Amino acid sequence: METTTNNIHTTFHSIGSSTDWIVMIIYFIVIMLFGSYFGKYNRSTKDFFFGGRRFKWWLIAFSIVATGVGSHSFVKYSAKGFEYGFASTMTYINDWFFIPFFLFGWLPIIVYTRIRSIPEYFEKRFSPSARFLATILLMFYMVGYIGIGFLTLGKALKPMLPENFMLLGTQFDITLMGIIIFIAIVTGIYITFGGQTAVIFTDLLQGAVLLFAGFLLFFLGVSYLGGFETFWNLLPVSWKLPLADMTKPPDFNFIGIFWQDGVAGSIGFLFMNMGLIMRFMATKSVDEGRKAATFNILFMLPLSAVVVGNAGWIGKALSISNPELVPASTSPDQIFVVVANIVAIPGVFGFIMAALTAALMSTVDTLINATAAIYINDIHRPIVTFLEKGKEEGKGKDKKELAAARWSSVFITAFGVVSVLAFKNFPTVYEAHGFFHSTLTPPLVIAIFLGIFWKKFTPSAVISTFVGGVALMILGLYDPNLITPFAHGIEMNTNHPYSYIRALYNLFVCGAVAVLVTYSTTIQQNIVAKIRSKSNHKQIAYGLTTVSVILFLLISFNVGAFYLQFIAILVITIIVAVITTYFVEYDPIAQTEGLTVWSLAKAKLDFKGSKINDEEGEIIKVAWKLKDGEEDIANFSKNDMAKMKANVGDLVYLCDTRKILGGLKSVHTVYGEPHNEDGMVVLNNEHILNGVFIKGKMLTAEKEM
Amino acid sequence: MPEISHTWLPFLYLYGVGGVFFLIGMIIIRKSNAIDLKKKRHRYWYRVLILGYFYFLAFHAIFTLIALYW
Repeated sequence: METTTNNIHTTFHSIGSSTDWIVMIIYFIVIMLFGSYFGKYNRSTKDFFFGGRRFKWWLIAFSIVATGVGSHSFVKYSAKGFEYGFASTMTYINDWFFIPFFLFGWLPIIVYTRIRSIPEYFEKRFSPSARFLATILLMFYMVGYIGIGFLTLGKALKPMLPENFMLLGTQFDITLMGIIIFIAIVTGIYITFGGQTAVIFTDLLQGAVLLFAGFLLFFLGVSYLGGFETFWNLLPVSWKLPLADMTKPPDFNFIGIFWQDGVAGSIGFLFMNMGLIMRFMATKSVDEGRKAATFNILFMLPLSAVVVGNAGWIGKALSISNPELVPASTSPDQIFVVVANIVAIPGVFGFIMAALTAALMSTVDTLINATAAIYINDIHRPIVTFLEKGKEEGKGKDKKELAAARWSSVFITAFGVVSVLAFKNFPTVYEAHGFFHSTLTPPLVIAIFLGIFWKKFTPSAVISTFVGGVALMILGLYDPNLITPFAHGIEMNTNHPYSYIRALYNLFVCGAVAVLVTYSTTIQQNIVAKIRSKSNHKQIAYGLTTVSVILFLLISFNVGAFYLQFIAILVITIIVAVITTYFVEYDPIAQTEGLTVWSLAKAKLDFKGSKINDEEGEIIKVAWKLKDGEEDIANFSKNDMAKMKANVGDLVYLCDTRKILGGLKSVHTVYGEPHNEDGMVVLNNEHILNGVFIKGKMLTAEKEM
Repeated sequence: MPEISHTWLPFLYLYGVGGVFFLIGMIIIRKSNAIDLKKKRHRYWYRVLILGYFYFLAFHAIFTLIALYW
């Protein structure tokens, strides 16, 4: 093990032994083979991205662990655990406040409206232009998230590698970006060929391994220190508190982190993170999605908080009991690797590092898969539809889309690597992630949230939020003094001003634009009526659009004095509101029915396509046999349908009876006309292929609605 | 002993301001009938939501007390 020390931190190199590297390589091969096996369950882009809406709650709940733990990584929480103690757990235990909105608002809407991406919701709810802007913002968000994942992976592996290596007589330095590029290539492989089902199953395995490895590290660390009592007594009281100080210090304070993570981050994670949303969409029903989300937040996140932060706590105790072994100046982002290496024997250290890096790769994979879904749904498909005007339909088109999805995964991985450049200069991954959340989530958070819960919210308001709100956010980036009134007394760090509390300012300005523009709808309509009464109304509208684009660019490049920029933003917001009202045809009834929380019954009705049957029936076991034809209906006996309280046209879920499979072998279909053979369901070949049913294996049948 | 700005003030802020968001959510899902308390399953979820809020509140309160006095 080697160390280098600069003025601030001690950094480590060449940690670990060859045994550790062998264990890591074996672990990676096993995980990749495991993931590749499930690639066979992708028969379409629907399967590739969404896993075919088939899984049980427990499978999704455990597979989310690796996604959540990976993204809110070992590296960043161990760093804050080392610097500030148990308060590193804060961000894992502040998501409940928005769970009613998610479980009974957004989750049923995304399932029942069958939307495949968040921007698609914006088109249905508002307009194609709102979808276009949402796609741009969301792609920035997702690619930035991938970048944060790569940065964390790079920082996790760097301490294990030497500072340089020799190849053909030439010395090569091992840089952070070099490591990240290598990781990106490896990461791209199984996501490109696996798809969502592969990701779900590798995450399931990795979630379990991750929890085990995290607790193993805690156990080894506490034992190394001489028992829990010694560990507990070594830590100062302020390190044991579960929440940080209200306003001190600027790089870790409660108020800033509450608004950045507890509000913007929680809404962003639950409502905007396509990776997570796609997991819930892969559950077999809305109720099953609710169970997965609830179980994850109530039980898995608190456990994960201990798993990801404990290396920092152990490191702190070690830095007090043995400062020569772990100097207090140890680089916080390296503390996880340093502690794991000290407390674990060779091989076990390799296993812990493999679990960490593999889980981080899972997170990045999930995000790449999700971003590719946005690309296919919101960029590729609209362009192809426009160019080909429906020339090719069916399986041929789906095959081409699957290929496009795989290629887009490769390009998104590359963009993710490039985005690391924006974050790598922050002192820790935690601050980089905090700044990222505070800056990129607020406009989309406000737009999605008000879109779902406020019927009056209009297309002109959402687009003004995306343009005027973002312009005000840019103003706050250039002049952080604007954020001071929102800072609750948090001191401004001039190098990275208000990394967290800027979330409150950004949410406020976006929310204010959204509300003010919505309440001035009548004024906008009157102005538009006056414009339309002119003979040159089209030229006026295009002229106003040009003016708003020019003003937005001037603000983006910080041209002009502050007060002029502020006035320009007001002008932009007014112009955008008016021209959106002019250009967008909006039906406030048709475009809110089934798309807001106020009309979920309609969404459910549209999902089924006929009257909802909510009668509770039995879940029965049946054998299956094959029939000819392609019609998507399954035929049960009269008696079996009576047991399930099902009628012809109701929806049914058929699943292999082996519970351990978690719904992997299952299919959704519709009840057809009954027959008289009890205990038998008649299916077509497509059902058998989609459900991957095995001859002779019984199925359970459950009426959905 | 740490200052109150590091002990109970963040706790009160978290469950006060967070509690306002939670309450607004509960009111909206009830008023919109997204959660229909006539349905047995929805009554179960309603109880889970309320218990969840107090579960986390108790969690932070207990751990603050342990940090201060144990």
